[in-house]
Amino acid sequence: MKETIPLPQIQQLIHDIKVGKVDGSFNITTKTLELFKQIITNAKWQHAEDLMQIIRSQGQILQSALPQETVTANVTRRLLKIIREEFDLLQVKDHHLADDSQASLSLHKLVTQTSECDVCVDYGIPRAGLKEALLDHLEEIETELETSCESICAQAEQHIHSTEVILTLGHTRSVEHFLKRAIKKRQSLTIIIAECAPACRGHNLAASLASNNVEIIVIPDSAIFAMMSRVNKVIIGTHSVLANGGLRAACGAYTVALAAKHYSVPVIVLAPMYKLAPVHLCSYEQDAFNSLGCAEGVLPYDSSAARCAKIYSPIFDYVPPELVTLFISNTGGHAPSYVYRLLTELYHPDDYEM
Amino acid sequence: MPQTLDKKDDFDVVKYFLKLLDDDKDLSSGIAAIKTLLMILEKKQFGTIHILQNTMLEAVAAMRNTDLSIAAVVSGGELFCRFITLSLDDRGMEECREIMLHRGKIFLAKLLNSRNVIAQQAQRFITDGCRVLTHSRSRVVLKALVTAAKANKQFHVFVTQGGPDNSGEQMIADLERAGIDCTLILDSATGYVMESVDFVMVGAEAVVESGGIINRIGSFTMGLCAQEMKKPFYVLAESFKFTRLYPLNQRDLPDEYKYSRKHLSDVSKVHPLVDYTPPAYITLLFTDLGILTPSAVSDELIKLYM
Repeated sequence: MKETIPLPQIQQLIHDIKVGKVDGSFNITTKTLELFKQIITNAKWQHAEDLMQIIRSQGQILQSALPQETVTANVTRRLLKIIREEFDLLQVKDHHLADDSQASLSLHKLVTQTSECDVCVDYGIPRAGLKEALLDHLEEIETELETSCESICAQAEQHIHSTEVILTLGHTRSVEHFLKRAIKKRQSLTIIIAECAPACRGHNLAASLASNNVEIIVIPDSAIFAMMSRVNKVIIGTHSVLANGGLRAACGAYTVALAAKHYSVPVIVLAPMYKLAPVHLCSYEQDAFNSLGCAEGVLPYDSSAARCAKIYSPIFDYVPPELVTLFISNTGGHAPSYVYRLLTELYHPDDYEM
Repeated sequence: MPQTLDKKDDFDVVKYFLKLLDDDKDLSSGIAAIKTLLMILEKKQFGTIHILQNTMLEAVAAMRNTDLSIAAVVSGGELFCRFITLSLDDRGMEECREIMLHRGKIFLAKLLNSRNVIAQQAQRFITDGCRVLTHSRSRVVLKALVTAAKANKQFHVFVTQGGPDNSGEQMIADLERAGIDCTLILDSATGYVMESVDFVMVGAEAVVESGGIINRIGSFTMGLCAQEMKKPFYVLAESFKFTRLYPLNQRDLPDEYKYSRKHLSDVSKVHPLVDYTPPAYITLLFTDLGILTPSAVSDELIKLYM
């Protein structure tokens, strides 16, 4: 059957991501979006139902091949949502009636529902102009994606003030840009960077931020707690934001968040909208939640200890929502308790489970 | 209002309501209340909306007067009254009634399905080999656990006895019938077993505006213990249990919620039957509207009653 076979472009993308040719959530999101745009333009589909089927099945392939990369699933969900939206808009235009049947399930809807068929809109009807409308909408999303980093950086001044001491962990693209903007605008900042062993990507961040205007301090991960007492703010990036407002962030983030909690230091998390995922952490044994990285950095393979010891290098940490003070996304600052609201705006509840 | 009065004798609200609950032991009192109200709508003639509303309010008041826990009756009744207000049109009374009856059926069908929806949502959280703590008897929790057992998952459930009426024993019997591994524990052993469980899963009699819950006495203790030992505290509740109430502490809860009818005249020497668990102790709420964080509850209520 057609839908079970991955398209060659999808296969290529999966390969590229696996070998690390494409890395970082931003690049993966952009690439995925580009790919789906091609599919919408080129694939043969008659009506919205067809297209949604194609996108859903390809999205599932991506998701099962790359369970760690939640952003691909997010892009798929977002696309499904805009297909639904555009379809409904056209429908309303045709029938001259306003119908909010697409709004997510709510108590209000439960009470006002007039008939069963409202729940399942028939996407099988071909609509003229759907493709054009979709491509227009896609362009908007592309622009949003491109400017997301810039929009986050623009908020740097609101959050960082002169002479403050900031602590961050590892190396995240958005944090790098955010801090660069802050350094440019504010005087005599001190930035403490936890190196995030064993990859020690914090060193790259330190090199990139270094300038006359700022004092950079690199610390080992074990010193996070010791340094926290003098820190004014913690600013970290994240791999993805979960449905309850918790984080799946680089290993070490939980340590930082707990230390910050101990000293009542605010924890600010930079998370562009495409990182919001409608998934819950059901249990720590969940396959897709964590993964183990290369252990060579922890203990060289040829060392004598490696012969008798097991070595693990987990990649992610789960940080519970109560340890996060604020999320900064491209649309502004949000409390963790508000994440569920953003999710209902971004995705359709039927697409949470793909 | 002669139109309502002359027919009053052929339909006894309380009798019908109690019969519904008696016929189907698995029926929630909230749904029974809504069913009763729908029946009134069908059986009686109403001259004006005002009469209709008054009759409904009277019926709710009558059902509140029974000896059952009133939380679900109140929220169900409120939801139904809201339903009537929202389905009103500027059409004729008879036409309105038809529309209401039609919508009412859909509404009821959805409510009846809500337990299944919730049980389905909870499946991903009940993993193979996990240990669950639950408080006393809750039909929706039972449903979720039985569904998980049917999917061939192996897990162990600890059930508190649930004083004063020890309905936890019935829960144990129900679980055993479904072939689920379970242990009955004393209410006072909550703290003892907490370290050995993976998560807590309880039902609720009502979900209040803050996102907290009103549930059988002991739930708050369980919430406190779970928080202290960093265990997730999940609540399973149908959306018709959402109530417009904002208690700040235990004393704030209305007496009708806390005590049975015969004790209401003097409550100084009796035990409360329910307690209030503030939202800070709740990890997630599983409802037929989706998996919600406590803060999402007020959003839903605002949307409905705006």
